[in-house]
Amino acid sequence: MKKFLNLSLIIFLILFQLKSFAEEKNYHKELITDWSRIFPDKNRNAAGPKFFKYIIDKKITYKDFIEFNKLYCAVSGSLIDPNSDSEFLFIEETKTRKKICGNYYRCCVPCSCDLMKYSETQKMKYEFKDGLKEFYVLTIKNPCDKQDFPNRVNKNYFCDGKKIKKSEVYSLDDRIVIGLLHNGKNCEKDEIDFVKSHQVTGRYCNLRNNTPLENLDAGMGDIFIKLAR
Amino acid sequence: MFIKKMKNLTRYLTLIFFVILTNNTRAEFFEDLSKIIENNEKRLSYGISVTDFNMDGKYEFLVTGFGYPNLALSFQDGKLKNLNQQKIFSDTLKRTIGVAACDIDKDGFEEIYFLNTDTYSGDKKYSDRLLDIEGNNFFDLFELEKNKENLNLTAGRSVVCVDRKGDGEYGIYVANYGGPTRFYEIEDELIKDKAQSLNLDNITGGRAVVSGHILSDRADIFAANERGANFLYKNNNGNFEDVAFDYRVDDAIQNGRGTALSDIYYRGRLDILSGNWLGYHRAWVLKKNQFKDVGNKDFDKPSRIRTIISADFDNDGFDEVFMNNIAEPNKLFRIKDNGKFEQITFQVGLEANGYGTGAAVADIDNDGVLELLIARGESKEQPLTLYKAKVNKENKYLRIKPLNKYGAPARGTTVTLITNKRKHSKTIDAGSGYLCQMEPVAHYGIRKDEKNFKVEVKWTNGSKELFNVSELNQTITIKQK
Repeated sequence: MKKFLNLSLIIFLILFQLKSFAEEKNYHKELITDWSRIFPDKNRNAAGPKFFKYIIDKKITYKDFIEFNKLYCAVSGSLIDPNSDSEFLFIEETKTRKKICGNYYRCCVPCSCDLMKYSETQKMKYEFKDGLKEFYVLTIKNPCDKQDFPNRVNKNYFCDGKKIKKSEVYSLDDRIVIGLLHNGKNCEKDEIDFVKSHQVTGRYCNLRNNTPLENLDAGMGDIFIKLAR
Repeated sequence: MFIKKMKNLTRYLTLIFFVILTNNTRAEFFEDLSKIIENNEKRLSYGISVTDFNMDGKYEFLVTGFGYPNLALSFQDGKLKNLNQQKIFSDTLKRTIGVAACDIDKDGFEEIYFLNTDTYSGDKKYSDRLLDIEGNNFFDLFELEKNKENLNLTAGRSVVCVDRKGDGEYGIYVANYGGPTRFYEIEDELIKDKAQSLNLDNITGGRAVVSGHILSDRADIFAANERGANFLYKNNNGNFEDVAFDYRVDDAIQNGRGTALSDIYYRGRLDILSGNWLGYHRAWVLKKNQFKDVGNKDFDKPSRIRTIISADFDNDGFDEVFMNNIAEPNKLFRIKDNGKFEQITFQVGLEANGYGTGAAVADIDNDGVLELLIARGESKEQPLTLYKAKVNKENKYLRIKPLNKYGAPARGTTVTLITNKRKHSKTIDAGSGYLCQMEPVAHYGIRKDEKNFKVEVKWTNGSKELFNVSELNQTITIKQK
């Protein structure tokens, strides 16, 4: 008993006096610090793909990758507060047309709707510092051939002529990766019901996604939709 | 057996309790001296500068008033008394927020730039004042007919003095908000705005600004901005080039508020502290041609910051960083060796309900310990507050006061104390914090077992002087040859 107490006391004293040696990684601060590197022309409209490319190009662990991808909105390109909640939603998988459920970190609710309607999800494998991992990413089709490419989006970020500019954004099967679908998995029936009946992903998104483009004035308005449709 | 075990347990718990107690009940850092401020009524105060208001060889605190009189607080008979009697200085109608003093006409005395702001952004009604003195009377250089075409009629915040040519002829950088930055200098006996010709006339939300030896051997400028990237102007033979992006201090989506120069590594160079409004506070140190933020999670934690000050309040030889937050408790850190920020817990000076705006340090009572004067106001009238660290009586100090060849405070000069323990640079403050300017003296506390004291002075033209110091607890005045 005495030996145990002595040992506990020593451990306690060391821990208490020295507190933590290691500084926790501040992902949000890192994105803020590098923001002008990610967006040299200061235009982040619909530029979620720029964030994704910047993050995946870092030599990081899978945990870091997940944490970084919680901090920007793939639809708007906005940074997200570190303590923000995610939206539980489903996205259609490109290959199987199955509904994949997962969590999406967004800047505002209309982005969830735009994502559900205009993006798809694909499985991606990647070798991180701590090994090969598989996860679901959010993608949009190649927009580079569009006649009505939205003028508020920096086309140079995405396109090299009619091709996706791979030095600036990440692509999978000629689709641009705009972000990560967190905790992605095949939807259960009750999960689909939950999403459809949810006040945002159900009722609000029904309303938004049935509103003519010219009448949209919330979220990114029509910028992302014009890019992704 | 059980009773014996319980006794042992109680003994250990008592020990643990004692350890916790000793960690949380350290002596107060500051004592409150606010009672020595005469007629210290509630008011809206902003920037503070420290200069020799009445040319008696001692420094006064100049405190700006927003719809309240500007004050010149002098330490006399154990009190801080307002010496000003002149309306053009007190200027109640003009709503002054920023202030800096420097010798722009090479007569050895510092002119005073008062930045007035009657609107948040863009065009304003009243111009700034640039006060010179004739006999015993202040007059405004901007009121002279010949200078009227160069008035600053844009809302602004901070001002800083810049000896860009290194010849002792100071110019004044005016951090405007929603209009072009201005840079005033005397040329052909006229006050001229040279911002455009010097590549400084950028439009931004100007907030805080410092000048000193940041990158070059001349006066460089760092401006912390709101709703726009920061500027880091490298001095290139008197002209400026913005290198903030290259040096990674642009912080494009943070909102700068207070800034100061500090030798964070005690390595003989000035690095940058930048407090961001509800954003990450930065402690930028130069490493391989880029600044790296070395602030830890306690230091960088977002707050409603205004002024940031780096100074050795307690004369222990390690600088403290004081963060003056508005309507939120202030913060204090000690910079230990290797750039480690250690948060200091304190109650006196915390001002949890204080609307702190500006703050400045000076050894106003000439006892070898710095006083900290805090201006408060903005959305709530409050009196000024004055603090001084409770200093161990054994702690010694050394103060270096460089004067340029005209006899004026050599603001922008870098003083470096070289000992067996450190190589510690300080700037002779040309303007810093938020809206403020500190005393033009390099104040050093002395570390335990520190010896072999040498001081290097790097003047604004880049030339250096080195001398030995044999005696501590003194202020050494050194004049540029």
